[in-house]
Amino acid sequence: MSDPATLNPLERIAEAPADHYRVLKISDLDGERLLELSKFMKLSLSREDMLAIQAIYAEWDREPTDVELEVIAQTWSEHCKHRIFGATIEHEVDGKAETVNSLFKTYIRDVSQRIFDRKPGFVLSAFHDNAGFIQLDDELAVCLKAETHNHPSAIEPYAGANTGLGGVIRDILGAGKGAKPIGSLDVFCFGAPDTTMDHIKADDVIHPLGVMRGVVRGVRDYGNRMGIPTISGAIQFDDSYIYNPLVFCGTAGVIPIKDIEKKIEAGMKVIAVGGRTGRDGLHGATFSSAALDTESHEEDQQAVQIGNPIEEKKAADFVLAARDKGLIEFITDCGAGGFSSAAGEMLEECGGVIDLDQVKLKEPGLVSWEVFISESQERMVLAVKEESLPELRKLADLYETELTELGSADGSGILKVTHHGNTVCELDCTKLHDAPTRHLKGRWTKKTGPVDAPVLTKPGEALRDLFTDFAIVSREPIIREYDHEVQGNTVLKPLAGASGDAPQDASVLRISGSKRLMAMGVSLLPEWGKTDPYAMGAACVDECVRQLVAAGADPGRLAILDNFCMGNPDAEEELGALVETVKGIAAVAEVYGAPFVSGKDSFYNYFETKEGPVSIPVTILISGMGIVEEESHVTGASLRKSDSLLAIIGHTSGDLGGSVFARRHGLENASVPATRAEEAWKCYVQYHEAVKKGYIRSAHDVSEGGLAVTLAEMAFSGKAGLEIDLCSLPMDDDASKAAMLFGESPSRLVIEVAPEDLAKVADLFEGLPFAALGRATTEHANLRVEWGKETLVNEPLADLKGLWKTGLARYY
Amino acid sequence: MEDRPCALLLKFPGTNCDAETARALEAVGFVTEVLPVSALKPEKLVGVSLVVLSGGFSYGDYVMSGRIASLVTEQKIGETLKDFRDNGGYLLGICNGFQILTQLDLLPAGSLVENASGRFQCQWVKLKNLAPKSPFLSQCPAEFELPIAHAEGRLVTKEAAEAAGYVKSGAAALVYGDDVNGSFERIAGLQDESGRVFGLMPHPERFMKARDHYDPDWEGQGEGDWGSGYWIFKSLYQAIKEGEV
Repeated sequence: MSDPATLNPLERIAEAPADHYRVLKISDLDGERLLELSKFMKLSLSREDMLAIQAIYAEWDREPTDVELEVIAQTWSEHCKHRIFGATIEHEVDGKAETVNSLFKTYIRDVSQRIFDRKPGFVLSAFHDNAGFIQLDDELAVCLKAETHNHPSAIEPYAGANTGLGGVIRDILGAGKGAKPIGSLDVFCFGAPDTTMDHIKADDVIHPLGVMRGVVRGVRDYGNRMGIPTISGAIQFDDSYIYNPLVFCGTAGVIPIKDIEKKIEAGMKVIAVGGRTGRDGLHGATFSSAALDTESHEEDQQAVQIGNPIEEKKAADFVLAARDKGLIEFITDCGAGGFSSAAGEMLEECGGVIDLDQVKLKEPGLVSWEVFISESQERMVLAVKEESLPELRKLADLYETELTELGSADGSGILKVTHHGNTVCELDCTKLHDAPTRHLKGRWTKKTGPVDAPVLTKPGEALRDLFTDFAIVSREPIIREYDHEVQGNTVLKPLAGASGDAPQDASVLRISGSKRLMAMGVSLLPEWGKTDPYAMGAACVDECVRQLVAAGADPGRLAILDNFCMGNPDAEEELGALVETVKGIAAVAEVYGAPFVSGKDSFYNYFETKEGPVSIPVTILISGMGIVEEESHVTGASLRKSDSLLAIIGHTSGDLGGSVFARRHGLENASVPATRAEEAWKCYVQYHEAVKKGYIRSAHDVSEGGLAVTLAEMAFSGKAGLEIDLCSLPMDDDASKAAMLFGESPSRLVIEVAPEDLAKVADLFEGLPFAALGRATTEHANLRVEWGKETLVNEPLADLKGLWKTGLARYY
Repeated sequence: MEDRPCALLLKFPGTNCDAETARALEAVGFVTEVLPVSALKPEKLVGVSLVVLSGGFSYGDYVMSGRIASLVTEQKIGETLKDFRDNGGYLLGICNGFQILTQLDLLPAGSLVENASGRFQCQWVKLKNLAPKSPFLSQCPAEFELPIAHAEGRLVTKEAAEAAGYVKSGAAALVYGDDVNGSFERIAGLQDESGRVFGLMPHPERFMKARDHYDPDWEGQGEGDWGSGYWIFKSLYQAIKEGEV
């Protein structure tokens, strides 16, 4: 027999007795062999991680089982543990060195903690549960969670997006003792729909159009069947997303405050509810922590699961009924890592026994590790009192879902798993959560500077051109595929205004049982991040907050989520961009007092093409929820009356960087506008005063396409034409006409007010950037923009709306 | 004794408009029970004035919308349901409920198939009330709006003439103002000969209040701050109350 130390991992595994589990001898392997073993088992653990595991087992004086290695791999995976956000990063900005000890602690948790301290009682739970909760009123709390499902969606767009939404809905069902899902958001980044095939430099990559259609239908078929309105979203198109599309799914929930705290104690029973367990979805957590290439498209089909929303709907009905009857002590979803993560999370302090023989299987013959880490969909894990079991069984029968007793909590602090009479896993749970700290390097060098704006000879044509850009065109064909009104609570719909098809900023939901409402908004600006990630981070927080406040939310009662996606964290420049982005979001969140209550990250969004690796740009999605005090505060983004006056809040910068205009006109590395957070915050507070006094008829944020696009979009309600004069626009002295019309400086809102209210509103903005812009008119149906005596734009709104409405419809 | 009429809402696995439909029924005065179909027995219809099948995707609607739900209903309470109707009971099917009703032989023959667009459509539509005497529509104006949200709402009949006949006979109680989904004769809702069974694709429970309308300046209809959907439930409530006297 050959020397065991030289056996390759395959031989090493073959040597262990073939049964439902194996003990794997790792004590005599060197780092290289350990890494091979990790790769062979698809554990996605580094050499350092494997050595750490070897050391732990040496201390315990035994060898691991395959189940234990799988459990540790799941627990330590980037997907579950966010090890890059916890890493020590040696970072360098423009030549200046600094050390970041955990991005999460420094810029997310600590910033949020300071805000929690400023607003006691507002944030009821953050970071440790499935979703963060904020107070709605004395009785109820609301929560929001967003997840990415990028890798599965790249390989199987329909199923990937389907289960992406299904998964985040379960997060909400598993938040607290079970929150009721009340609304979803979906944000996608794709290659452009008109990408030509010869532009795709790798085999077996799905065309962006196929990805888009599959993803949208996946979201549609899960969300609509679950009866959760999809009310909010965004789509970005960029070449860099051809190989790695991004799919963010988020869901909001509501829960009685008394049901937020959950605790597991020795003696409680652990039960599973919902779908059965199969071989689908093996290694999803570790799979999503690695880069894609053509081979992974062929190999990893089994990592993508198939969704069954009705299974989940039945489980959801059961969970909410059981919670209302007070039968749930602890609940969590079965997501990445399957039972191993769910049971691990549940039993990490208390310890307990899980008996895999009890698990209901989709097919016979699964070995122990497959049962324990399978990510089969639609499963929830609960801890309940033994005396509650009979009533829970009755409820499961009533809602036609399957309930299985898996084991119990025992207070030992040890996670023990048995199968066919053997102990296949026996781990000290506290060890599971001690992954080695990673050490990484980041670097960022300023890329932008002043660039002269092009001379605008025909601004009207430039505006028409913008209304054909994929960044701006109406998302109507997609929005209409989502049921955004189920549950009967969608007060401010994603398309509204007098014509029912004009774009809105945030959406607002009524909450059954409360006088208060909840606004939801999203922002992502990847174009900005390509050259100025700090400005991108800052502006994303600003835009999300601005959307929420514009729709009527109280600026003092907002909470936000950070979802990061990036390419290769081992590439210094890419990680440097991430660090700068995080700094940007933290700085503005702190000024706005908008705490982060939940977040998620997705790495390795790069693809080995024939022409080398293609990474996505560092992409941050900020999504947010805000409390709207009463229904009368809800404010749409569409022009309502033909006698109205319009005004702008906020300062217009001369910088055109990051804008759609800059991209279309080939302006490279132009300075990106900074977020003037202190000033913006004062504006938002004053704006909310105006909302409360009933002065604001409508308000629209200035975003992609700049002021000219914003004005036209407001008038897409069809109520009136607009007469605008930019001569008193608050702006940089040297701002060009292009910057005035098409610049995308953050923190700006266009508001519509009654003629008699304008002076009163202006008083509220004393000392702040504010100016009257013009008026609505029935004399014509154009967007007419003047600058002193010069007419810059005079375009029929119907033409612009026609371009805007058909831009994407042609492709979807 | 409770003098409010009782409504029984059947909840199939995948039914998802039960909460807001129950809320709408309660708002106009019904006592409402939402009953998971696993607990459905003929006795459950005793003392009930109205059986409601609400929107959703019963059993996922993978076979054909409403197909499995109709078979389960037939098997559990088929005959009882027909007796219930014959003895003066009312039946309302909304969206998926309408799809189920068409397969239970309780409405004039017709099938709800995939929209002409091939898409799920969530939008507001104009409607024409062709049956102002219907107990479901008596308090609704001649024209009003409601939201739709369906992928299979195109009403077809074996022969186009049948659908035209429904318009003449008054069976087509509700029609779309525009060609929304390819429905024959733009039919949006059907009633049976008794007038006590009514199915419609639009969602009245989503337009109970004026503020539910997409236009914040929508002026309202009738007394109070109610939306058009309210008047369907209110009409029904009045009809049942008057029938009791």
